Amino acid sequence: MLAISIEALIKIALLMGGLMTGAAYFVLLERWIAAWVQDRKGPNRVGVPLTKIKLFGLGQPLADGLKFIFKEEHTPRHVDKILFTLAPISILAAALAIYAVIPFGSVLPKDGIPGVSHQIELIVAPGIDVGMIYIFALSSIAVYGVILGGWASNSKYSLLGGLRSSAQLIAYELPMGLAIVGVVLMTGSLRLEDVIGMQAASGIWTAFSQPLGFVIFVVASFAEAARLPFDLPEAEQELVGGYHTEYAGMRLIVYLIAEFLHMITASFLIAILFLGGWHFWGITGSSTTEVTWFQAIARIVVLNIKIFGIIVFFMMIRWSWPRFRFDQLMSLAWKVMLPLGLVNLVAVACLVEYQPALESKLGAVGITASMWGIALVAWIAAGIFAPLHSDNTARKDSFVLEAESRNRGLRTTAPGQAT
Amino acid sequence: MKTDDPSVRWIDEPKLGLTGKMYLPAIIQGLAVTTKHLFGPKMTVSFPEQRPEIGNPLIYRGVHRLNKDEQGRVKCVACFLCATACPAHCIDIIAAPSPWPDRDKYCESFTIDELRCIFCGMCEEACPVDAVELTSMFDLTGRSREEMIFDKEKLLSVYDQTKDAEPMKSRVMGASP
Amino acid sequence: MMLTAVALSTIDKLALVACFLLGLGLWMLLPRGSSRGKAFGLVLTTVSLGLFAVRLWPLDDMVSDIVFYIMTAVTLVSAIGAVTMQSPVYCAIWFALTLLGTAGLFFFQGAQFLGVATIVVYAGAILVTFLFVLMLCNPEGHSLYDRLSWEAGLSAGTGALMTILLTWTAASVTFADARGNTVGPTIAVREEAPATIPFQSSKDAQGRNILAAQHVEKLGIELFTKHLLAVEVAGTLLLVALVGAVAIVAHGRTSGMPVITEEARRDA
Repeated sequence: MLAISIEALIKIALLMGGLMTGAAYFVLLERWIAAWVQDRKGPNRVGVPLTKIKLFGLGQPLADGLKFIFKEEHTPRHVDKILFTLAPISILAAALAIYAVIPFGSVLPKDGIPGVSHQIELIVAPGIDVGMIYIFALSSIAVYGVILGGWASNSKYSLLGGLRSSAQLIAYELPMGLAIVGVVLMTGSLRLEDVIGMQAASGIWTAFSQPLGFVIFVVASFAEAARLPFDLPEAEQELVGGYHTEYAGMRLIVYLIAEFLHMITASFLIAILFLGGWHFWGITGSSTTEVTWFQAIARIVVLNIKIFGIIVFFMMIRWSWPRFRFDQLMSLAWKVMLPLGLVNLVAVACLVEYQPALESKLGAVGITASMWGIALVAWIAAGIFAPLHSDNTARKDSFVLEAESRNRGLRTTAPGQAT
Repeated sequence: MKTDDPSVRWIDEPKLGLTGKMYLPAIIQGLAVTTKHLFGPKMTVSFPEQRPEIGNPLIYRGVHRLNKDEQGRVKCVACFLCATACPAHCIDIIAAPSPWPDRDKYCESFTIDELRCIFCGMCEEACPVDAVELTSMFDLTGRSREEMIFDKEKLLSVYDQTKDAEPMKSRVMGASP
Repeated sequence: MMLTAVALSTIDKLALVACFLLGLGLWMLLPRGSSRGKAFGLVLTTVSLGLFAVRLWPLDDMVSDIVFYIMTAVTLVSAIGAVTMQSPVYCAIWFALTLLGTAGLFFFQGAQFLGVATIVVYAGAILVTFLFVLMLCNPEGHSLYDRLSWEAGLSAGTGALMTILLTWTAASVTFADARGNTVGPTIAVREEAPATIPFQSSKDAQGRNILAAQHVEKLGIELFTKHLLAVEVAGTLLLVALVGAVAIVAHGRTSGMPVITEEARRDA
């Protein structure tokens, strides 16, 4: 019991340290990429404190953190004080608790660590059999932080940001869930370790066999992490800062860290569910029971490189793609992503039905090709039939139109209009 | 104005093609642009180590200087035109009878409050003898308000500092010496 | 019958008193329009919870003791908070905490799926929708009528009655199962779940123990073989509700967005 607790505590310490440092340095990376894309140089001044060593600005996160800590912890007079403090705590707690079921590597070999006789699985809670639903549960808890923060601030910008954010999170959980169900159907398990194990064993990453699910999942994770082009909850140009408009100091940094953690979680999930997790052909091996030290370390490195790449992709998309309007965002979720997710689900169900065919090379190629075909057809169909997102015509309520047409003796073309 | 006002002319957007409606090609296009800029040349000037290039020093409006003539005397004749023209009222001149025969007055003291100055260049325009000029020195800093009030000596020293790099504008621009 | 007799003989006066005090304390705590007696209600409720706590028995080891009782305390206290708060938003938050505590208790018993599903369905979907609506009302704006509990006495009484019945039932089940060997139900840890679950009466259920490893798989097989009809009926019911909701929304609305025609525009 004690040994297990110590093992778990070491894993938690490693993960927390890694995540917090990671979040801090991803802020720096975000600023760098923002600068480079805009032909600037980005922060490159802060290095080792009290010296003149600049180190390409790698000391910047430290300076940022210190600045936040020493800022005034201002609580506006009009807020609901308890919830105002509770909201950032709850969002950070939920964002961190998700990592209990996310593997950050594969397993360590039996021998080599003194005092440990079993394989150490590189996941904080290896016994949890409902990993993916657990992730869902905690990401729905994260909505509380946003709603409460928005409401407790007692400010219009915050409230609108909170409303937008919660509506967006709820809407995009559905296509995300459908994409995950596809993966679960194929794996037959809700554990993330098993999903990686399955991809490693067959050598085909889920993204290759379920391209449609992959795209849906990536889009939904952008929305869940509230990254551009889905960053409406805190659209600066409209809402000042969204749900954390009224926050300052440590509470604000807690919110910002939670947001970055959401992005890192999304990258973990994309890498694990669709891009093979720690698996890479020819380097990491594919067995989950027999590993050498080289393989064990290579797996951690491969997983981290994948996550890094996905985060860079997140940051590049931010500067490549303008923000959606809120109605466009909603209609994308409900009218495009949800049907596409259903198509993917049905296709995967058929695929699972013909699982034995995957054993032979020809069958595997055929099935993968047909999945790509389905994805392409569904995508084109969505492109042709989905509501046009560039429709910017001013809208009128139907009764206004009706009254106008009666006055002028003209007909409007509102379809299905009575009388 | 309401959206259904008769004077509003509605312009339809160009119809999106299939690639536009399918989003993904457009995303890849956008990514290509951003990636190009990611590795492209940077416009930032690392300021203290690297000085920015001033496009044309003749029309740049930086710190003032008080010009000297060939004999090293201040050119100002204390006519108060610059102080009158100044919209920020930051020029203060005290005139005194000139010790030299070629003019009636000269400035005993000539003070510009650089913190009040808006660097509009009106003093330069107004000056009949091209005594006040704006240089291309832009990094004007000080640790106190007093330090930022430039008196006659300081303004003259600015001239000494900049006269080699920037000769008097009047000569370059062909005005009377 | 025999069970009831055992139960009757085992219910003790202390629990009865505790339930009565709980009812009284809750009635005083409920928002009745005046804040008189609130502190006394709090004391009463605490005392009654303490009386329940007297009857508690130690579990397998200290760690599970601590975890279990902390989670129970969180669940109970937040449940009381959920019914006694005046602001609806606070009620919702306390209720969310209750759900988290319940989910934790499920986890503790090894019912992982149930625990997570509680959070996803109740805390993640239903309560968020509540909050969504509550957010739109001004914290100070709603009328006094909304902030009062309507039938304070009746609801507190019903709550106390329910607690009595539950205590009764739980006590009888425990004693019938343990046959005097143990004082109360042993809390099952994930690995050694099968033997110690008190409510397992049939050998059938022990055979396909759904709490062991591969919990979700076993649970799925159980649900989609033994309880297939119930699952399908529940699914159909939800579908009907969904269609109904869409129908209600769509009713009385012209379909599609109104469009300004070309000729209308030109004419205007």
